[in-house]
Amino acid sequence: MTLRILLIDTDSERAEALEKKLADAGFSEVSRVTSGPDLSAEVERLAPDLIIVDMALPDRDALEDIRSLSAGTPRPIVMFSDKDDPAIVDEAIAAGVCSYNLSGIASQEVKPIVASAIALFRRFRHVETELAVAKALLEERRLIERAKAILMRDRKMMEPEAYRWLQKKAMNENRKLAQVVAEFVKKEETDARRAGS
Amino acid sequence: MSEVVALSGSGRAGETKMRIGLLRLTDAAPVIVAHEFGFFADEGVDAELHVEPSWANIADKLAYGFLDAAIIVPPLAFAIELGLRGTQQRLLIPTSISLGGNTITLSRGLANQVREASDRGGLSVPQALKSVLDQQEAKPLPIGIVHAYSTHNLLLRYWLATGGIDPARDVKLIVVPPARAAEALGSGKIAGFCAGAPWGDIAARAGAGSTIATSKDVWRNAPEKVFAVRAGWSDKSPDALLGAVRALLRAAQFCDAPENATYTASLLSRQKYLDVDSHAIMSSLPGGAIRRDNVSTFYANAATFPWLSHALWFLREMARWGLIEPGLDLPELAARVYRPDIYRAAVAPMGLAVPLKDKKTEGAHDNPWQLSAAPTAIPMGPDRFCDNAEFEPDSVRSPAPA
Repeated sequence: MTLRILLIDTDSERAEALEKKLADAGFSEVSRVTSGPDLSAEVERLAPDLIIVDMALPDRDALEDIRSLSAGTPRPIVMFSDKDDPAIVDEAIAAGVCSYNLSGIASQEVKPIVASAIALFRRFRHVETELAVAKALLEERRLIERAKAILMRDRKMMEPEAYRWLQKKAMNENRKLAQVVAEFVKKEETDARRAGS
Repeated sequence: MSEVVALSGSGRAGETKMRIGLLRLTDAAPVIVAHEFGFFADEGVDAELHVEPSWANIADKLAYGFLDAAIIVPPLAFAIELGLRGTQQRLLIPTSISLGGNTITLSRGLANQVREASDRGGLSVPQALKSVLDQQEAKPLPIGIVHAYSTHNLLLRYWLATGGIDPARDVKLIVVPPARAAEALGSGKIAGFCAGAPWGDIAARAGAGSTIATSKDVWRNAPEKVFAVRAGWSDKSPDALLGAVRALLRAAQFCDAPENATYTASLLSRQKYLDVDSHAIMSSLPGGAIRRDNVSTFYANAATFPWLSHALWFLREMARWGLIEPGLDLPELAARVYRPDIYRAAVAPMGLAVPLKDKKTEGAHDNPWQLSAAPTAIPMGPDRFCDNAEFEPDSVRSPAPA
């Protein structure tokens, strides 16, 4: 799969040099835009896998917003800087932002840098996804406990019986246990509130 | 808190370096003046100013420890404190920087339509904008803001909502750096924008837009920028922190004096700072404006005091628009970041009047009033909201324990 790269720069000479470096490294699908009001439309249209932007441009604020809006499909952003604190690069990497001084490096280093930026980004995404899965599991457990408690209280079931009842209900309705349990708890709690008020 | 008071008496340390970030905005004036006039040096603070191109840079550099302090919009300071964008970093706000100074600028055609609708129907400006929107196609109106976590975003949303405009449906708020806003307005990419001075004036001078409202049309004497310091830096340099606050207060007094406007404007217009026409800066400085409808206030009206009620208003509005998750302990967060105790400790040796309380009801005054302060009361300007609502800071409560 070819990697789509969006390069945002106002300095066309520098951007050209960087584009050539990327091409030499095997990245042929590079789009170049000068910064400006069209930025979000360009990002939407091109759906790049990677965005390279100069830290010295004010457009970082717009990119930050685009990234937060497209939470479903966030893209790694590589920042480069000519004169700007080289040390910030290390800190940024440690913090999960992909930031490298791309203009000051040799062509043969471009490929590993781009590759590691993407790998790093995927790793962070992976951790986030894992966290979301763990949270969902916890919530499912909590709901099952709650549903069992309701059954034990209202229908005088024993705990294993209550669990089997829920499992059977899910099987009969051909749905996931988590769904059935969530719905059951919600309904019971609404009924209880209605009865109480 | 008592530690801070004790430390303030312990003489000045040697020169302490403080790297301060700022953007190209009129309300960066106090930091630039304090630096150029040696007010920081007088306090033993070796200030190093970094003019940054974006709020993202300011936030990242604070978060990674490449800046020790910055002039910042309060919602962004809370976002960094909470780790909502990038790395989390503990910040504290020992002094506010400015009141007012933002403009809501619309394309000239739209601005004329809105003014006409307002005159014809006796409507408020946001109501008139709503009536113009209702007559148009259903496409949401694109309006530029400087950052999601900005004062501008919150003031604009508040203002739009008072006219019955749903900021999530009737308009599309997109981030456009202020330096690009005039161009975006001219090309029709956005229909308007809300930004700090001098950018509204620059768009008007370029013939691209017309200012339809300013900060004071949303909230009179609305809080704007604050001075945020990395807690890690201030823990190591408590004396320098107090010195920096004093230097900023002296600079605020200078910037507020009308007779200094020409000087301040030409200082700010230098290439290494704002690098724009000094006349555009003049019009947003006290004393520099012919029409005083959008000047930044730096010292008067207790502009420098870090009010907890300001912090709580910002946090309530952030929660209202879903910028922070529900269930946070907002009073605790406000008191952790906004630090009137440090302000008082810093100001004590200067003999200046300091408010007696940390919070006040916001929006209760149509006219000038007197604020209880020691040693003498402080004359205050009106603080009315455009919808005449009053904000009672104690109405923002901590969540009940589970």
